[in-house]
Amino acid sequence: MALLEVENITKRFGGLVAVRDLSLTVDKGEIVALIGPNGAGKTTAFNVIAGYYKADAGKVVYDGVDITRLHPHQICNLGLVRTFQVVRPFRGINVLDNVMVGAFARTNNNKVAQAKAEEVLDFLGMGEEVKRMASGLPIASRKRLEIARALATEPKAILLDETMAGLRPIETDEVIAMVRKMSQSGIAILLVEHVMKVVMSLADRVLVLHHGEKIAEGTPNEVVQDPQVIDAYLGETNVAN
Amino acid sequence: MSSKKSTQTTQEIAKQASGTLYQKIVHFLFGSWESTQLTFSFLLVILMAVFPFFTKSPYWLGIVVLSAVYAYIGISWNIVSGLTGQLLIAHIIFIALGGYTTIVLLNTYSVSPWIGLLVGGVVAALAGVVIAFITLRYGLKMDYFALFTIALLVALRTLFLKWDYVGGAVGMWVRLKNPSFIKMVFNDKAPYLYIALLLLVIGIIIQYLIYRSKTGKFFIAIREDEDAAAALGVNTPWYKTLSVVIGAAMAGIGGGFYMMYVTFIDPTGVFNLGMNVEIVMAGPIIGGLGSLLGPILGALVNKPIAELVRGYLSEGTSGISLIVYGSFLVTSIMFMPRGLAGLLHNLYQKLSKPVSER
Repeated sequence: MALLEVENITKRFGGLVAVRDLSLTVDKGEIVALIGPNGAGKTTAFNVIAGYYKADAGKVVYDGVDITRLHPHQICNLGLVRTFQVVRPFRGINVLDNVMVGAFARTNNNKVAQAKAEEVLDFLGMGEEVKRMASGLPIASRKRLEIARALATEPKAILLDETMAGLRPIETDEVIAMVRKMSQSGIAILLVEHVMKVVMSLADRVLVLHHGEKIAEGTPNEVVQDPQVIDAYLGETNVAN
Repeated sequence: MSSKKSTQTTQEIAKQASGTLYQKIVHFLFGSWESTQLTFSFLLVILMAVFPFFTKSPYWLGIVVLSAVYAYIGISWNIVSGLTGQLLIAHIIFIALGGYTTIVLLNTYSVSPWIGLLVGGVVAALAGVVIAFITLRYGLKMDYFALFTIALLVALRTLFLKWDYVGGAVGMWVRLKNPSFIKMVFNDKAPYLYIALLLLVIGIIIQYLIYRSKTGKFFIAIREDEDAAAALGVNTPWYKTLSVVIGAAMAGIGGGFYMMYVTFIDPTGVFNLGMNVEIVMAGPIIGGLGSLLGPILGALVNKPIAELVRGYLSEGTSGISLIVYGSFLVTSIMFMPRGLAGLLHNLYQKLSKPVSER
């Protein structure tokens, strides 16, 4: 049984079905990528899994526990944490305090939390930015801070929502290395990504969403050759030619 | 040679040791912005505490007493609205409930105000639980949260106006005959000042401990971004309720003392948004909402100015004092969005940098 199992979830907004009958699994140490054109329902699926939206049908099972109806903070305390596509640092406080908020999920002790936060920040190469205000960070550091806070909660599975968007190629490479390091430490990773270089080099498996439905699943190489996927991204005329 | 060398080293060690002691004290008092704010807070308390040694004027002593009470009440509001970012506009509800509880217990049941204050705190805290529960149940946030508390204030004013048990529209007052410690009635203003300062010191310590702890970090995380806080495992409904309850309990106790000091309470005077601005909101906003020092610094600016403006300008056209006081509040918000504490913070950051980087 996989660590995270999503079974046939459906999410509607009024008449629009944002996610239809989506199933996926992510196991320990595995990296699964969720891709698809804009508006395919990737972020909605994330929000359902992390407890921000209530699924209209289906269920989400994490580590043998049904988490479909739980609050985001309960899900986080069980060990499943998410990051946001548009980064949301606590702007008015410094980097260390930001990460300590995450670390406090596992401890009540100030010193333990601070040690954990410093450890995570070192791990992500942000050791020199601990005293900076979060509002003054450049975008690459903000993205990293987002991951640092999530890691400080000591997750067993992590949902990364477009972590590489807006980064320069060099920075992207750094984050790829970071994600690989996280995966090697046994964390299950589900990521939404537009940057294909990231998907191709990181993912063990790729799921393609289109109009809320899963249209393909497989290794990165299988998926990019799937005619349905090429249809979804480039339009049908391309295949006809 | 070797002995000379060793004496030199001992001297150096001694020099270093004295240096470290001095540095230790400086570090303890001004090592971080938090401890600097705490140091300044206590300096202001000491300043207020020695005030009676310089003047016996009841007018000036009265202003200092109310400044101390406003500072304490400002701290209670700062915890809810400054740290946790919940727009609890009508915070004066808790002050009113604490005041009414204390005076009803004293006048109707002859319970000492010393106990009455604490019961008032409990009553206010319960009201806080109710407010937190309703607003969370119906998902009222930000402006809607603020409007809900204002609506509650209006409803409570009407209720208290019609409620004979608490004196109705006439209100209730403290009987000033036979002053005694146990009845918290004194001939002189100095005892009131020291009770107010005791409350203020407790308030400063509570606020500092909250700020330094996990709870405080979670409060601030909720203020900055509630969804992101929830994603990191912060039980946001619980911590939002907790902050309202702490703020309400502190305000309830402060309200009980305020009542004993001004000796009179009536619904239109106390369930009053104008009063709310003066007692609760002006101080922390002038001083810097969300900072540790703000409520205390702000109260010491706000109360004397409110009092002086009222004293000098109320002879002529009525209402002119309110215009001047209001303009003062508006300009201070416009030119110091982070309050006086914000200006001090900038100064602190400049001074704490090494000379080469200035």
